[in-house]
Amino acid sequence: MTTAAILVEALIFPGLTFFVCIAFLFEWLERKTAARMQGRIGPVVAGRFGILQPVADFFKLASKEEMVPLYADRLVFDFGPQLFFAAPAMGLVFVPVTGPSSILSDPLDLLFMLFILAFSALMAALLGYSSAGRYSIIATGRLVLQYTGYEIPMIIAMVTPAVLAGSLSFDGIVAAQGTYWFILLAPISFACFLVAALAELEKPPFDIPSAKTEIVAGWMTEFSGRALAYVKLTKNLSYVFLSAIAVALFLGGPLGPVLSGNATVQSFFYLLYFLIKLFAVGFCIFAIRTALARVRIDQATRLFWTVITPLSLLQLGVALILR
Amino acid sequence: MPRRKIGGALGEMMRTAFQRPITKRYPFGSPEVSNRFRGKLDIDPVKCTGCGICAIVCPSPSTIEMVVAGKRRVGDRELEIQRPVFNLFNCISCGQCVDDCKFGALRLTKNFELATTDKNTLIMSKATEIAK
Amino acid sequence: MSEEEKSPVRRKAAAGLMQYSPENIVPFGPVHPALKEPEYFKLVLEGERIIEVYPKIGYVHRGIERAAQDRTWVQNIYLFERICGICSFAHSLAYSQTVEGLSTFEIPRRARYIRTIIAELERIHSHLLWLGLVGYWTGFDTLFMWIWKDREHVLDLVESITGNRVHKSFVTLSGVRKDLPDGIGDRIRTEMNYLEKRVDFYKELVSTEETLLTRTKGVGRINQEVARRLCPVGPLLRSTGIARDVRVEDPYAAYDEVVPDVKSSTDGDIASLIVLRLEEARESCRLVTHAMERIPQGPVRLTVPRIVPAGDNASHVEAPRGELIYFVRSGGKMLPERVKMRAPTLANILTAVEMLKGRPLADVPVVLTGMDPCFGCMDRIAVVDVNKQKEWAIRGEELRQLGIQYYKKGNMQ
Repeated sequence: MTTAAILVEALIFPGLTFFVCIAFLFEWLERKTAARMQGRIGPVVAGRFGILQPVADFFKLASKEEMVPLYADRLVFDFGPQLFFAAPAMGLVFVPVTGPSSILSDPLDLLFMLFILAFSALMAALLGYSSAGRYSIIATGRLVLQYTGYEIPMIIAMVTPAVLAGSLSFDGIVAAQGTYWFILLAPISFACFLVAALAELEKPPFDIPSAKTEIVAGWMTEFSGRALAYVKLTKNLSYVFLSAIAVALFLGGPLGPVLSGNATVQSFFYLLYFLIKLFAVGFCIFAIRTALARVRIDQATRLFWTVITPLSLLQLGVALILR
Repeated sequence: MPRRKIGGALGEMMRTAFQRPITKRYPFGSPEVSNRFRGKLDIDPVKCTGCGICAIVCPSPSTIEMVVAGKRRVGDRELEIQRPVFNLFNCISCGQCVDDCKFGALRLTKNFELATTDKNTLIMSKATEIAK
Repeated sequence: MSEEEKSPVRRKAAAGLMQYSPENIVPFGPVHPALKEPEYFKLVLEGERIIEVYPKIGYVHRGIERAAQDRTWVQNIYLFERICGICSFAHSLAYSQTVEGLSTFEIPRRARYIRTIIAELERIHSHLLWLGLVGYWTGFDTLFMWIWKDREHVLDLVESITGNRVHKSFVTLSGVRKDLPDGIGDRIRTEMNYLEKRVDFYKELVSTEETLLTRTKGVGRINQEVARRLCPVGPLLRSTGIARDVRVEDPYAAYDEVVPDVKSSTDGDIASLIVLRLEEARESCRLVTHAMERIPQGPVRLTVPRIVPAGDNASHVEAPRGELIYFVRSGGKMLPERVKMRAPTLANILTAVEMLKGRPLADVPVVLTGMDPCFGCMDRIAVVDVNKQKEWAIRGEELRQLGIQYYKKGNMQ
């Protein structure tokens, strides 16, 4: 494909713009399902069924005044949110959406994904650290501690499908799931990945770094206005990003029975399957998030170090034997 | 010691998700207040005699003020007629004036939509417009 | 010698906070999402562990006791019920009881029963509110929404009886203002049945949900020795095993005939506080149904003179948070001479501070709100002169003159 075509695809469809819309949709869906499960109605005013509510929130935040703390590190504080946004945005072009191959692919995709996840967490920690506020410092400490907890099981859980498929690229892993989805072969890995994803996204029970009632807003406390709008959008985008990774690694990506026809029809079906699976994974995360309280940081790390990591190692061992 | 489990709320969550939410759709629907709801004060100017008891018992300062609304002749003297003016922006809708008015001129309605941008709209002085 | 070195008390106080470097001191409040009302807690942290807590109160002080001296006896009922939104009926009830104690009339029995019913409904609503907030503070939003959904049943019931959900304005100096509406008996029975089932469900949920238990079990543990030293009241005291309740020990309203069963537990931590308050809410449901069955016919208020005979009286009620004490001094005039009020949170705050020492920071909201604080009820100002070892309450005019003199001397910043 020509560079221009790649650029158009990466920026519009099925790249950045498409995924940003999906991110808004995810947030709306999360708020609506959480509301219904709690007996209330969620957003209703903005657009039909409140579907434009996340968009309205974004524009409202972007139009407000930005207040910068006196002792903040200006360089990181000003450019950090942009870098933070770049991480999942870049990662999403590597996930197959409209077909067995993604917009950009490389034999070593998976390693790049791991780097992006680490970069995401690093940027969040830097953002918190550069805010130079008391609550941000405590939150950054908690964030880094939680990171040591979830990173290892997440990496192991992501490597297990690679072992089963014999390839380190997303295209290869998706192609290897033609007969069986890897969730059937490595269910424990999927569970560990979901739990680690909850921790990365800071959703209950692991929303410790941005615990609203303890440290105001955690590492996001000192951000306001446009920077906060982008930080929130990035969190939603990471939500989609991690769900997309889960779909690609464990649920066979966009694969499914397609009608034979020309490429457009086929890619339409692939897209449909991808979206269905994406929302299914998202829904699992909503349900878990709504049902549980927040645990303390020491309890969370203890859980990860003593339970989740050994489980994921176990599953990796089984996968190696199976191969 | 009951058995500890995770996600015990899931069953109830699924059940609640399919029930009707309890959010009242006000202002897109009616607010459904009860019959005894204490809202905005209303006076029947015909029954009011200007005795001034409401102004004395009202707990909220300067809510009820007695003003001179006219004069009448009694024998060879001219007496002032007093009537209450209600500054409803101070009113706490307690209903003490309603209880203490011997003539039943006051009542609390179910209207609670009192927000306004002009304080003067909340000054109720219709008792002062007495038929001469 | 500097000011600090002159007085041993001042030296110790300065050393208390000064020995910690400013980086370790995290301010909690006065404005914080975890606190419903503003209070200032200076937390001295070491990493995530709390070493010391210095509370500073006075942020919601509104001078209500002084305002009471400018209003007549009946007008004060409406003033005192606005001290707090959650225990508003307890305040107006306690005040009325204290004033009625100065007079010679007996309030009608039907009025006593109605007061009991509304007081117990308020207890249910307060405990449900608190439990929902525990869910909110531990990040369990779902529990918060569900419990407040059920609390709406209680509030709608109260609105049908009294006309308002929060400031009930139902008590008057010789009984209650209105009788119960017709047909309310069936509705009360239905709602209490529904609430009993829901309370059972929540008790099951909070005793078994792992994530909630890890946050509340063993957190903020106090034992009887701490309780006897610091004298908390209400559910906080009953959770240590000391089962004291004003409704049983000094019955007021109709509690001599509708006797509550005092619940207590022995664990003394937040998890047991949750279960204890749920059990108390369930007991209140039973009391309401019981009172509705036994309620006698008769008048609900008497016509009484508006001037209260001279004298002093003190009375207490069991507010949802603990023992609420009122003291009234009358000089036989239209306005009271002095009304003093001691809210339960004032007795509990030092115990809560004690519960915090040694816990990690994440426990602060859970523990501080485990005592169910109502700082609006609690606040007061006292003037303490450390040098002269004297303490007195300052009058408004004196304070105003003090301020004028201070700034006249050129202490402008």
